Amino acid sequence: MEFVNLIEIAVVALYLSGAALYPAGMLGRKPMLMRLAGLTAGGGFILHTLRIALMFASTKHMTFTQGGLYFSLMAWVVLLVFFTISWRKKLEFMALAASPLALLLYLSSIALPDSVVKMPDNLSGLFFTLHIGSLFVSISLLAMAFAAGALFLHIEKKIKTKEKLAGFRKDLPSLNTFDLANKWAVNWGFPLYSVGLLAGFVWGRFTWGKLLTWDPKEIVSLLIWMLYAFLFHQRLAQGWRGGKAAKLAMLVFIFSIASLVGVNFLTQSHHNF
Amino acid sequence: MDQTLYLIGLNHKTAGVEIRESYALTDCDPRAQGLVTDTGPISEAVLLSTCNRVEIMAVADQGTPPEVILEFWAKACGGSVGTLAPHVYIHQGLDAVNHVFTVASSLDSMVMGEPQILGQLKDAYRNSVEHNTSRVVLNRLLHKAFTVGKRVRTETAIASSAVSISYAAVELAKKIFGDMGDNTALLIGAGEMAELAAMHLVNAGIKEVLVSNRTFTRAEELAGRFNGRAIHFNELMRRLPEADIIISSTGATEAIIHAKDIKPVLKARKNRPMFFIDIAVPRDIDPDVNALDNVYLYDIDDLKEVVEENLAQRREEAVKAEAIIESETAQFALWLESLDLKPTIVDLLEQGEDIGRRELAKTLKRLGPDLPPETEEALETLVTSLVHKLYHEPINFLKRRTQEEGKAGRFIDSTRRMFNLDHEQIPTDAHARRKNVVPLRRDCTLPPDGGDASDSEENNG
Repeated sequence: MEFVNLIEIAVVALYLSGAALYPAGMLGRKPMLMRLAGLTAGGGFILHTLRIALMFASTKHMTFTQGGLYFSLMAWVVLLVFFTISWRKKLEFMALAASPLALLLYLSSIALPDSVVKMPDNLSGLFFTLHIGSLFVSISLLAMAFAAGALFLHIEKKIKTKEKLAGFRKDLPSLNTFDLANKWAVNWGFPLYSVGLLAGFVWGRFTWGKLLTWDPKEIVSLLIWMLYAFLFHQRLAQGWRGGKAAKLAMLVFIFSIASLVGVNFLTQSHHNF
Repeated sequence: MDQTLYLIGLNHKTAGVEIRESYALTDCDPRAQGLVTDTGPISEAVLLSTCNRVEIMAVADQGTPPEVILEFWAKACGGSVGTLAPHVYIHQGLDAVNHVFTVASSLDSMVMGEPQILGQLKDAYRNSVEHNTSRVVLNRLLHKAFTVGKRVRTETAIASSAVSISYAAVELAKKIFGDMGDNTALLIGAGEMAELAAMHLVNAGIKEVLVSNRTFTRAEELAGRFNGRAIHFNELMRRLPEADIIISSTGATEAIIHAKDIKPVLKARKNRPMFFIDIAVPRDIDPDVNALDNVYLYDIDDLKEVVEENLAQRREEAVKAEAIIESETAQFALWLESLDLKPTIVDLLEQGEDIGRRELAKTLKRLGPDLPPETEEALETLVTSLVHKLYHEPINFLKRRTQEEGKAGRFIDSTRRMFNLDHEQIPTDAHARRKNVVPLRRDCTLPPDGGDASDSEENNG
């Protein structure tokens, strides 16, 4: 077995431990398990970084559009965003979404075939990198908004219906914390999503000579952007918060994932893998 | 042990408030008042006197009847044994130990799991140390009781949930707002329970308290107590957007706040959440308010239900706590037994011989395998003899004390501690901790952790 394969197995094992141990620690109210989950996810992240570095080092004409690398990078960014949020905002509970999502994306990256396409040159490369980078971070933030929104709705329902908050629910942060996390993720995520889309269109102009090619992915992304813009506007201007904002953020995330999987795999598009 | 441990007391279960008040032992000095003397049958005593409990822990010579303590108690309070005796429980030996641990763990309190009793027990112990009425047995018993109380609190969830209406409301508020440093509470009406809830909110760090009452002077008076602001009752709806937590307890016969009133309030607040706590009967707030987004409403029945559930959880946790107490009582029994001279002599010599054997083994290893057997035998004899000779004088001293005084407990205890015969783990900062003793509270008011003992419907142990 090659060294690279060993790293892949280790990353999967560590991400799996992280994804399983955090909910287990939460349900069993064992903080040690949750800390261990953080450590295993962190260990996996370091090895994953090494794996990506090795991939770049071994292939001169690597491009982001190949499926395996695309998903691998996505998993890496999800965890990067999660670690940043945990560190800056003390929102460790986001691990509930980040770890399983990173695991799923990484497993997908292994399953997808490696097809090498030439890396775009010069200025086109800059916009392409901006396009992918911004969108990845934005989707990762949406994942965080999804987790915070789902937990908000769950706990709010318990409080509204006067059900007992027992077990791990009792240890969860307040509704206000979930709402702020959701708001924070949307407030950062939407501008990044916009930059990502715009950079994609500029790159399209360089590559195909026109901004909009009416590719299915472009249309779906624009529709998601509109929904996202509505959420961003309602939160900022209309003071939306709580359940309504949480539900819409979750919907935007679900559409983003559906677009990522559905459009990229099932339709004829520039974005096929 | 040639002495008996007694615990004689009464509590909220055995005596009414009048008896508890009449037979309280506040500011009582058992040495000055003749219970503990240098020559009498009672050598140690600790008096615990709280709102709900009066107890005397005492160490007496074997055969001393508990009536001696009872008579002292009645006399100290200017009452009679006849009045006192029917309300009193008497525990002896390990039963007494078990009872002290149960009390320290707050299993015997009116509000099971309330944290105050441990502080009160520490106060009682401090008094006994000041009056020099606590020695070997009670020193050890009380220290152990503090450890057991702490263990029960950390290893079980006995004190983890609110068991009073007002504190349950505050716990819920925390679940909605988290840190309440930016939140404002509004009291509508000035009922006692609303006041208690406000007190809990202030303890939890709420930014400001507003008070609105039909009688403005009463509102001003109450607001003054929390460094808050009074607002006129007819300004209530206009000022409502300022409040995040609203506690209503007016005597109104119909609802004073309706869902339609709240919609514009929410708009003015940019949908910031509001938590309504309606503790009035009949209710002040229309239940439909709970259906609005970002609005949460709990009435007195909802809160009672929360409290009932939490109490049930505490009762479950009490089973775990009892197991801890049983095991700690058994350990204490071993220690009590060790206060007899014989086991201490055996332990001392065994420890010495053990050290000798280990050192001998090291020396023999250094001397090599060619050592003649007779030399090895001589070395063994030397070590054993040295150990016995070294311990000869301390053992003789202990024997003399036992014969002369008939109660050499404190010397035996000192010896056991000096040679660490009980193999206790001594923390590295033990000395530092002893130096930094913090004075303890002596009151029956709000517990330090924001507990629930101060609600009108409850009291502390």
